[in-house]
Amino acid sequence: MESVDIRESVNANISRSLDAFRVFIRRSPFAAVWGVVGLILVLMAVAAPIISPNDPLKTDFNNMSAPPDGDSYFGTDQIGRDLLSRILYGARISLFVALASVLLGTTIGGVWGLVSGYLGGLTDMISQRFVEIIMALPGLILAFALVLVMGAGMWTIIVAIAVTRVPFGARIIRSVALSVKETAYVEAARGIGASQVRIMARHVAPQCFAPFLILFTVHLGTVIVIEASLSFLGLGVSPPTPTWGGMLGEASALLYPFWWHVFFPGVFITVTVLAFNLFGDGLRDALDPRLRGTL
Amino acid sequence: MRTYILKRILYAIPTLFGVTVLIFAIMRILPGDPLGAYYGIETIINWTPAQRAEILRDLGLDKPIAVQYAIWMKDIASGRLGESFFRGDPIIEILAQRGPISAQIGIISVAISWFIGLPVGIISAVRPNSIWDMCTSFFTVLFLAIPGFWLGLLIVVGLISWLQYKAPIVSVQFWENPWTNFQIIAGPAIVLGLGQAAFIARMARSSLFEVLREDYVRTSRAKGLIERLVIARHALPNALLPVLTLSGVLLGFVMGGSVAVEQAFTVPGLGKALVVAAIDRDFNVVQNIVLFYAVIFVLVNLFIDLLYGWLDPRIRLN
Repeated sequence: MESVDIRESVNANISRSLDAFRVFIRRSPFAAVWGVVGLILVLMAVAAPIISPNDPLKTDFNNMSAPPDGDSYFGTDQIGRDLLSRILYGARISLFVALASVLLGTTIGGVWGLVSGYLGGLTDMISQRFVEIIMALPGLILAFALVLVMGAGMWTIIVAIAVTRVPFGARIIRSVALSVKETAYVEAARGIGASQVRIMARHVAPQCFAPFLILFTVHLGTVIVIEASLSFLGLGVSPPTPTWGGMLGEASALLYPFWWHVFFPGVFITVTVLAFNLFGDGLRDALDPRLRGTL
Repeated sequence: MRTYILKRILYAIPTLFGVTVLIFAIMRILPGDPLGAYYGIETIINWTPAQRAEILRDLGLDKPIAVQYAIWMKDIASGRLGESFFRGDPIIEILAQRGPISAQIGIISVAISWFIGLPVGIISAVRPNSIWDMCTSFFTVLFLAIPGFWLGLLIVVGLISWLQYKAPIVSVQFWENPWTNFQIIAGPAIVLGLGQAAFIARMARSSLFEVLREDYVRTSRAKGLIERLVIARHALPNALLPVLTLSGVLLGFVMGGSVAVEQAFTVPGLGKALVVAAIDRDFNVVQNIVLFYAVIFVLVNLFIDLLYGWLDPRIRLN
C-alpha cells in the first residue's frame, strides 16, 4: 500500500505548488507578467542559433557601423557584425552567468547561514564576522579583483560573482534559521533524539526554501548588471564571444560611437534587470511579505 | 553614548584587519601568476630560473607569504602604501591625485540622490496611489534597472551627436580650474545620483508610509496640528532613519558603480586608475585601491552607525 501513499503525497505536493502559483498570480499579476518577459528572454537566449538572422561573428567590412535598416534591424557594429544577432547570442552568456552565479552563491550562502544560525554560539559569531568582512568590499570591486586574479573566463566570472552573493544568503537564511529553531516542532524533533544534521536538513531547511527562492530572483537583476559591468571593463568572457557588457565596452572604445552601438545592448540589459527585479518583488510579496525591506 | 561609540569602533577594527587579510589572500594566494599576466606566458617560459628569481626578488615576491603581508602592513602604516609593481611610483600619489575627483563625484551624487529621492518619496507616501505616485514609481523602478554606465554612455553619445560636445579628458582638480573640473565630474555625479535617488525614493516612500500609520501621528492629527507640521515635525524624523542607513549601504553601490561609470565618461578618477592598473596587471596598485575603497566603505558605515545611535536612543541603549 506504500505506493498509493507516495502517489497521494506527490499529488498533494503538486496541488500545493499549483495553489501557491495561483496565489502568486492573484496577488501580483503585474509581477507574473514580468516573469513571462523574463521567460521569453531565456527562451530567446536558448533559441539564439535558430532565430538569429545572421552569424554573430561574421564581419562585413563593406557594411561597417551601418545604421538600423531592413537588412540588420539593430544596425551593424564597427566591424560590420550584425548587432541583433550579437545581442541574441549575448543573452546566452549574460543569462547563464547570472543564473549560475546566483544559484551557486545563494546556495553556499544559504547553507552557511542555515548551519550558522542553527548551531549558534561561537560558530555563529565567527561566521558572522566573516560575512561582515566580505560585505565590506563593494560587490563589483570584489568580483573585479577576483576575476582579475583568476583570469577572465565564463566559470571564473561565475565563481567571482557567486562570492559576492554569499553574504546575502548567509544573512537572510540565518535569520530564518534563528527563528525556526525556536519552534515547537524542532524542539520535538530534538526531543525524540534526531541528530543535528537531520533536524537541519529535514525540519529547518524546508522553511528556508521560500526566502531562498526570493533571494535568488531578487539578486538576478543585480548580478546581470555586475556581469555586464565586468565585461564592459574588459574582464568579461573574452572576445569575439558577444556579451551585452562587452558590446558596450567595444562601443565606448570608439572615439565617436554611434547611437545604435550603445542603445540596443543597454536596452536588453535594462529590460532583463527590470523583468527579474519586478518578478522577484512580486514573488516576495506573495510568498513572504515579511522580507520586504530586508531584500 | 560613549560606551556605544567605543563599542562600535572596537567592532570595526577586526573587520578592517580581516579586510586586509581577505584582499591579500585574493591578490597573492589565489592561483594566478602576476608575472605571467604582465609579461605574457610566452615571455616567461623562456626565462631562466635565475632571471625569474631576480625579477621576483625585485618585486618582493620571493619572500614567504607572511613576510609579504607584514611588508604590506608596514607600507600601510608608513602611509605610502607601497609602490606600483611596474612603474615604481608610490601608490599614495595615485590616491592623492585620483581620489579627490572620485570623492567629489561620490559626495555630489549622494547630495543629488537626497535632493531628488527624498521629496519624491515623501510626496508619494503622502498621496499613495495618486497619479504622481504612479509616475514616480514607474521612474523609480526604471532607474533601479538602468545600469549607470549605460546611461553614462548614452549621455556621452547624445552630447557628441547633438551638441558636438565632449567633456575634456584631463585630470583637473577643483582648485586648479573649477569650470573644467565641473565638466569632468558633472556627468558621473548625475548618473550615480539618479541611480541612488531611485533607491532613496523607494525607501523614503515605504518608510514614511508606515510611520504615517502610527498612533502618535494620529494623536498629533487629532490635536489639530496642520498636516504639513505632522509630516515635517513628527513623521519625517522617524521615517528618515532607515533612509540614512540605506544611504550608507548605497555607498558600496556608488563605489562599485563609479568604476564603470568613470570608464564610460573617461573620467580620470580612482575607478579609472583601478581599471588601468588591472589592464597593466599591476597587482600592488589594485590591492591598495581595493583596500582604500573598503576602508572608506567601513568608515562611512561606522560613522552612520554612530549617527544612528545619536539620533535614536533605542539603538545605543540596546
